[in-house]
Amino acid sequence: MSDRAANGVQAPVVQLREVTKVYRKGAQEVRALDGIDLRVESPGMLAVVGASGSGKSSLLHMIGAMDRPTSGEVVVAGRYLAALGDAELTGFRRKTVGFVFQSFNLIPNLTALENVMLPMEFNGVDKHERGRRALALLERVGLGARATHRPGELSGGEQQRVAIARALANDPPLVLADEPTGNLDSKTGQVIYELLEEIARERTVIVVTHAEPLAQRAKRVVHIQDGHLV
Amino acid sequence: MIGIGVRNLWRSKLRLVLVALLIGAPFFLLLVMQSIGDAVQRQTETLKQNVNNTLQLRARGSMGHVNMVGNEAILPQDALAKIKGIEHVARVEPYLLAMTPTEGHNFAMIVGVDPQDTRRLESHGEAGNPKILFGRDLTEEDRGKQIAIVGQGVAKWAGIKPEDTGRATLTLDLKRTHPVIFALDRHPVTLTVVGVYASGYVFGDMQLFMPIDTFREVYGVPEGISWLYVRADSAENLPAVERQLRAMLGDVADIISPTTVAEFQTTATAAVQRLANGGIGLAAALMVVVVFFVMLLVVRERAWEIGTLKALGASDSGIVASFLTEAVLLCAVGALAAAILFGLLGGLLAQLVFGLGVSPFLPSHYSTLANSLSLSPRFSAATLGILIGACLFAALAGSAWGIRQLVRLSPMEAIRHE
Repeated sequence: MSDRAANGVQAPVVQLREVTKVYRKGAQEVRALDGIDLRVESPGMLAVVGASGSGKSSLLHMIGAMDRPTSGEVVVAGRYLAALGDAELTGFRRKTVGFVFQSFNLIPNLTALENVMLPMEFNGVDKHERGRRALALLERVGLGARATHRPGELSGGEQQRVAIARALANDPPLVLADEPTGNLDSKTGQVIYELLEEIARERTVIVVTHAEPLAQRAKRVVHIQDGHLV
Repeated sequence: MIGIGVRNLWRSKLRLVLVALLIGAPFFLLLVMQSIGDAVQRQTETLKQNVNNTLQLRARGSMGHVNMVGNEAILPQDALAKIKGIEHVARVEPYLLAMTPTEGHNFAMIVGVDPQDTRRLESHGEAGNPKILFGRDLTEEDRGKQIAIVGQGVAKWAGIKPEDTGRATLTLDLKRTHPVIFALDRHPVTLTVVGVYASGYVFGDMQLFMPIDTFREVYGVPEGISWLYVRADSAENLPAVERQLRAMLGDVADIISPTTVAEFQTTATAAVQRLANGGIGLAAALMVVVVFFVMLLVVRERAWEIGTLKALGASDSGIVASFLTEAVLLCAVGALAAAILFGLLGGLLAQLVFGLGVSPFLPSHYSTLANSLSLSPRFSAATLGILIGACLFAALAGSAWGIRQLVRLSPMEAIRHE
């Protein structure tokens, strides 16, 4: 999972240099990120903590190629994202990043198994192999018995576990989780914390969170305020 | 991704029913309007066929009967060739006429016709081709032969029985007179009666038809025409034909014309046709607009899904293919539902729509048209194909328009899109 440079120093899986993101809301200019420098090694969990509107989700989106920075450099798994075209960014998201959304974002008409199979389908994995791997991932998150259920038939915690299994579908080196327990009660959130902690033993997990208990489980915590790391 | 589009069709039964209804409703309305348009078209064609678009020409001031007192003037033979050359003249049929006295009905009409032409009846020119009851009609082979067919009134007067048809004869005594018939200095002629017809009215049954060539020989009329029937190629062109005939023949001929009737029918049917076509146009526009916006809405409400698919690594082309597949299937389901519903209720609803939406705008003399129109729930494969094509086009356009905007966004922009 991790790269090592020729001199034996561990290469960062994520490196941000002077990353700035400016949004426009009408005539108003909002600096969501303002000159962020960040280096993340693999494996382990990094927690990004900050108040609402501090820029933590924007930071996650830049790392996951969900959005482009206004300026600065984002390097993930050795790839300069600014140099990638749209099709290459699609391939990057497919193979390098697994994304866990706050509101799960499962496709409602697909079963849990089909939702987990989806990224593999985009990656060209054959149907039989997709099914086998998806079932193994659902069993890993404790939902093997719920594989044929649709999202509407699952609880919030179960849906988020399906979303985590989906994020792992193409075995990416980096998992990004945006407020993964934001829509869950504390007890259910605990299960998700444990799951993400386990995943972080083998790959890099970056979690954006308000939840102090989750941040405490992280190997490293960075705080963000008004678009700056503090 | 096409497979995902197929699966998306069934993502919610309620959604499928609602979208199919939204797509199917204007499609159904278009089928109804189309059936009304077809029925009006059929009615118009029938009207056109029934409209008398035939002019009758006779020598000026004469009935044109070669032995009728004061009415023996006939048209010059060269009129036939000239009239055939007039634009929009579809057919010209020359008749030669004479009369012969009878006991029962004072006189019978003797008519010389080309065997392939219509057997028109005296005073009822529009009631052509009476029904042969016994024997056969005249044929091309009868030209020049002393052969005739007669109405059942003439047959009764001449004592011809049905079983004798083909063998029976009838002798014309051209020297016999009547207050309005003068004698011709010609020998009697015996004709073989090969057929007996019925016309449905007594004067029509008092006629005898023989080949025109035979008539010329029997009555000694080597050239000239008693009556000339000129049929225009359509009721619309009848006034133009009449104008040209008047210009060509001047004072030589009287022209008995149904032009006023033809003009009225043409104007009225054209108005109904325009109204029906307008209805079809409106229904088609409604269908295209509704289907376009329904599909646009179907895509827009799932912007978050498009963003999620992009975040998971779906290609833009794959997402587009998925949504277009879904659009095609939704459209097909809507169209199929509409076609089935139309098959079940179309005739009834077409009648209702015509009564409420078309009839009030028609001239009063068309108020009963709804009852006479055959508003059956029929549509041809070509009609259905064109409608489905238009529906698919609108669905694909609406879907593509929505997707085109969303796939260009970054995943997060699409997820946040409202």
